[in-house]
Amino acid sequence: MELDLDESSLAIGRIERALSRIEKALAARAERPASAATAPPPESSALKAEVAAVIGELDRLIGEAKHG
Amino acid sequence: MADVRLSIAGRPYDVHCADGQEDRIRQLAAIIDEKARSVQGGTEVRQLLFASLMLADETQEARGKVEKAAPQSDSLRAAVALAESREAAAKDELRAAQTREQEALAEARAAAEREATALAELEALRQGAPVVPAPPSGRHDRALMQIADRIEALATKVEQIP
Repeated sequence: MELDLDESSLAIGRIERALSRIEKALAARAERPASAATAPPPESSALKAEVAAVIGELDRLIGEAKHG
Repeated sequence: MADVRLSIAGRPYDVHCADGQEDRIRQLAAIIDEKARSVQGGTEVRQLLFASLMLADETQEARGKVEKAAPQSDSLRAAVALAESREAAAKDELRAAQTREQEALAEARAAAEREATALAELEALRQGAPVVPAPPSGRHDRALMQIADRIEALATKVEQIP
């Protein structure tokens, strides 16, 4: 069935696809030899901070939607 | 008081009248003179008598027309009142219809928003993702889009990690 989705549904679809890409990349990274994983890239902490910020933003948005 | 000299049926008459009414008196005298002169033959008194009778006849006829017109005038006034009443009722009905239309429009918009929300939740369920309640406004849509941008950028960075 073809669904006529609004903008928020499209955004959710994009988020899910991006999360899937991250999941795949992390899984591929975990399968590599341990030596390669011992040297974290310098931007690793920045990535973690961005992940935390995005999760925080999502939490805030869900909270807003729940409470109107 | 003003003095006015009138000429009726060939005889002059000096009369007094209130100041400013001279022309009116002359105008009335001219009417009497015209009637008196239209009576051929007879004495001056007889000419004036017939002129008086003709003017009395015209007066009575004019009064009859006024009395006949009065009921028509009443009918017209009643018709105007009825038309005004109907116009007011039509305006009220129009306003009520406009209000009903606006309410129906608002209800349709609310229904469309509810439908969009339900579709978003349905799509999320279809994709097996936890349901994120769809935001009720464009502000939340934009926020979701911005988060999607940031997560996509994150995915690209994670994929590029050596």
